[in-house]
Amino acid sequence: MSADLLKRLGWFALFFLAQVIVLGRIHLFHYATPLFYVYFVAMFPRNYEKWAVLLWSFSLGLFIDIFSNTPGLAAASLTVIGAIQPYYLELYVPRDSADNLQPALKTLGPLKYTYYIVPLVLLYCVLFYSLEMLTFFNAFYWLMCVLGSSFLTVVLIFTFEIGKKK
Amino acid sequence: MKNLLEFLGRHYHWLIFIFLEAVSLTLLFSYNSYHNSVWFSSANAVAGRFYQWVSAVESYFSLTKVNEDLMLRNYYLERQVTQLRRLYGEATQEIDSKEQQGLDSLSRYQLITAKVVSNELGKMDNMMTIDKGSADGVDVGMGVACGRGVVGVTYLVSDHYSVVIPVLNTHASRISCAIRGYGYFGVLRWYGEDAAYAYVEDIPRHARFKRGDWVETNGYSSIFPPGVMVGQIVEVYNARDGLSYKLKVRLSTDFGNVRDVVVITDRSIAARMRLMQAARDSLKLNVRE
Repeated sequence: MSADLLKRLGWFALFFLAQVIVLGRIHLFHYATPLFYVYFVAMFPRNYEKWAVLLWSFSLGLFIDIFSNTPGLAAASLTVIGAIQPYYLELYVPRDSADNLQPALKTLGPLKYTYYIVPLVLLYCVLFYSLEMLTFFNAFYWLMCVLGSSFLTVVLIFTFEIGKKK
Repeated sequence: MKNLLEFLGRHYHWLIFIFLEAVSLTLLFSYNSYHNSVWFSSANAVAGRFYQWVSAVESYFSLTKVNEDLMLRNYYLERQVTQLRRLYGEATQEIDSKEQQGLDSLSRYQLITAKVVSNELGKMDNMMTIDKGSADGVDVGMGVACGRGVVGVTYLVSDHYSVVIPVLNTHASRISCAIRGYGYFGVLRWYGEDAAYAYVEDIPRHARFKRGDWVETNGYSSIFPPGVMVGQIVEVYNARDGLSYKLKVRLSTDFGNVRDVVVITDRSIAARMRLMQAARDSLKLNVRE
C-alpha cells in the first residue's frame, strides 16, 4: 500500500507540475488547452478503493485550481471523473482478467483503450468547459474548446502510452 | 434504521463524492467574491513563491535577446560619444586628451616646444621647417615629436629655424622602433604614396605579435627616448629576402595636421650617442691595426 501511495504521489506531482508550468499555458488557436491530468484518474487500476480514487481526483483538481486561479473548477470536474471511473472501467475489462488490472494500451489493447480513454477525456472536457462558462455561454466557443482540448489531451495520452510501452 | 446503515456502508463513497462536489462547487461559485478566496488562488504565499521561481527560471530564456539589445544600445551610445567628443574638440579648439597624454609622457625629457612653419606631404622626400634653431638649443640630429607620436629628426639648423626630416621621407628617414609589449625592433621607413601609412622593416621572423599591436620608438637610437608612439600595425608582409617581416603601420601622427611639436634635446641621449660613437671608432681603429 505504501509503495502504491508513493507511486501515486510521484504521478500526482508530475501531472500537477506539468499542467501548472507547461501545459496550462498552451492555448492553441485560443481554444485548445491540453488537460493531461485526466490521465492520472484514468490510470487507477480495477478494484481500487473508490473513496481513494475520489480523494486523489479531488486533491489533484484542487491543487491545479489553486495554481491556475480557477478554484473548484478542475476539482469539481475531476471528482466526477473519479466517481465514475471505477464503474466505467468495468465495461471494458475482460471478465477473466486480473483483479487489479491497470488500464493501459498494453493491457486493454489499442481498440478497447481508445474506446475507454476518448469518451472519458471528452466527458471531462465537457464538464470542465461547461462549468467554466456557466456565466457566459457561447456555444461555438464552448464546442471548439471541448473538441480542441479533448483532441490535444488524447494525443498526449497516447503519446505517453506508446512511449511507456517501449 | 439498520437497512439505512447498511446502505450507507455499501455506498459511502457516494457520500464522499457528494461532499467533495459540494466543496468544489462552493469554491467555484464563491470565487466571484474574490477576497474570500485568496487562499485558494495564486495570491496565497505558497503559490506566489512558486510562480516567483518559475518566472525566475523563465527569465533566463530571454537573456540572449536582452543581451543583444544591450549590445546594440551600447554600440550606438559609444558611437555617439566619439562623435560628440570630436564635435567638442572642433568647437573648443583644444588639443584633445590623447595628445596631452603623449606630451606628458615626453615631459621627463628636456624639450623645446616649436611650431611648424612649413610642411610638405605630396613629395617623395618631404621636409618640414620649425621655428626654433640653434639659438634655442636645437642641434642637428635631434628627435622631433608631437603629442600623437614621432614626427622626424632635425637635419639642418640655423639660428632661428630648423629643417626636420619627417617620417615621410623616402631617403633620409630611418627611425628605430619596436612593437610595444614584445620588444622586437625594426626600422621605420616610408615609400611615398599615402601619408597615413609607413612600414617597419627587419622585424625578425620569430617575432610574435598581431595586427592591431602598437609600434613605438625603442630607445636604442640616439634620437628618441623609448615609448614615443609610432602607429598601429594594420598588415603584415614577408620581406623580400624572406628573412624578416615587413609591417604596414598606420601612423599615429597626422602629418597633414601637425602644428605644435617638441624637439627632444635631452643631454643623456646625446651623451649615449657620443659613447656609442666612441665605441665604434675604437673598434674601427682596432680592426685597422
